Amino acid sequence: MGQLLVNGIVAGLLLALPALALSLTFSVLRFANYAVGSYLSCGAYLVYIGNVVLGMPLWLAAGAGAALFALIAVGIDWLAYRPLRNRGGVTLLVASMGVAIALENVIRFFAGNSPRAYNVPVARPMRFGDIRLNHEQLTILVTVIAALAVVWIIFRFTRLGRMMRAVADNPDLAAVRGISRSRVVAYVWLIAGMLITLSGVLVGLDANVEPQMGWTYLLPVFTAAILGGISNPMAAVAGALTLGLAEEFATLVMPVHYRMIVTFLVMVALLLVRPWGLFGTRWVTK
Amino acid sequence: MTVYLIATLTLVALAALAGLALNLQWGMGGLVNFGLFGFYMLGAYIAGLLTVQGLPPLVALGVAMLGVAALSAVSALISVRLSEDYLAIVTLGFAECLRLVISYEGWLTRGMLGVSGIERPFQAWWPRGWGDTGFLLLALLAVLIVYTVLQALARSPFGRLVRATRDDPGVVEALGKSVLAVRVRVFAIGGAILGLAGSLHAFYYSYIDPTQFGPIITAYAFMAVVVGGRGSNRGVVASAFTLIFLLEGSRFLIDLVPGLGASELAAIRLFLVGVGLVVLLIFKPDGFGREPRSALADKTSSRF
Repeated sequence: MGQLLVNGIVAGLLLALPALALSLTFSVLRFANYAVGSYLSCGAYLVYIGNVVLGMPLWLAAGAGAALFALIAVGIDWLAYRPLRNRGGVTLLVASMGVAIALENVIRFFAGNSPRAYNVPVARPMRFGDIRLNHEQLTILVTVIAALAVVWIIFRFTRLGRMMRAVADNPDLAAVRGISRSRVVAYVWLIAGMLITLSGVLVGLDANVEPQMGWTYLLPVFTAAILGGISNPMAAVAGALTLGLAEEFATLVMPVHYRMIVTFLVMVALLLVRPWGLFGTRWVTK
Repeated sequence: MTVYLIATLTLVALAALAGLALNLQWGMGGLVNFGLFGFYMLGAYIAGLLTVQGLPPLVALGVAMLGVAALSAVSALISVRLSEDYLAIVTLGFAECLRLVISYEGWLTRGMLGVSGIERPFQAWWPRGWGDTGFLLLALLAVLIVYTVLQALARSPFGRLVRATRDDPGVVEALGKSVLAVRVRVFAIGGAILGLAGSLHAFYYSYIDPTQFGPIITAYAFMAVVVGGRGSNRGVVASAFTLIFLLEGSRFLIDLVPGLGASELAAIRLFLVGVGLVVLLIFKPDGFGREPRSALADKTSSRF
């Protein structure tokens, strides 16, 4: 039981960063970035290049990869999403599917389909009484909590955070007050790009680095974000933890390979009962 | 060469059916169906499994169409009251779960081994060696029927209602029509067409397994609709034709470009599909076709 709790929290934390990134971009841009899964794979592969091909230690490769992919995320926004900004959420959604396919196949072109692993020393899991915690899980725990703390501080206490919240709340009013929307959007993509790359590394540590890795996380990430109330970034973290625990405890009654069905059922139940999210406020008026 | 042409034209027919279904759901109705491949796969599996059980292929096809239509309606009911983003992710989730169930529930679907020996309808009718041509004619007939029905539907009062719910659901509600009912029906009809497309896929290949179905089927359908022009059935059929011929033709590039493997080439092709989708949305958002307009709309627009 305790083991399931630990695994559930780790699984939830793994979802927390991309869910936070998704909900951050949604709150400012009002469109659901379907390409978030491909972003995750892309980030993971960039870090793989730094770590294995160039021989950097993983923390350095992750930092460099996150910075580089943050710029790529801004670049993709400039090329693909910015020209469509006034065309409504559905068009952007379809465009993000195009972006997802393009990115995934850039990876396939250069790296092929075979799974890869980061160059990290293998270590024996730690034991606390009955509970086993391996080093990957510890890394996930520490990294995610640190990253969340940083984002929370930015969001809560800095001028940038205030600007982001203002644009999310009411873009027109924010523009009247002299806040440049495009600058805020660029910062949001920078932050989202870094968060997604970090989560890509963590997913790669937990499992493998492969072109499909982001795809398998797409549905859980969306579910976690919807659980939290999709336009409320910090609640997405709570949603991710809830979903992680639900998935882990569901293994008591369902085979492990049906994880995604658990996720789907959670989403369907939520959409039928509380479409504004477990922790969100009621903003869906349609 | 003729064999190759027949095979490619059959693929065109399958893509055109999927494109027409999406054109009804997304082009006319504004409902984003990202799980299109799941409904297509469901159609293939229902038709395939029933045919292997000994049911006549045409009956299996009918059951597949009804079954997929029903499940489409259910999945639309879950989410059409919310904004489009939710429908996209719910249909996608549905498709992924379906693929998992089909992959793991071997007692029902034969899992990763796949279903083989699926019999085609009317196979005994054609002389020896003409089976593929006969099947192509059947598939083209299916496209023709679906096209005619959809054209009639687009010009009917129901078609106007569907376009109106896409453009402004609020007005439709205010006029006393139920947006929910319209959307569920649109999704169900689209589902029936996808069921038909999936069944023909199963008949054509006579073998199906879960790896044949992936999000790329969805991407092709979206590409067909975006190129063809949202709402234009003629445009969608024409673009499905062009798209499949371009994609199939690019296979020959392997001989021209040295050092290019099949998997690299596939990656380039799909990359271009993704980029093409975005570029078209930016520069040619209305596609190359034209949505059929009512006489009234033509009159009012010609005044300006």
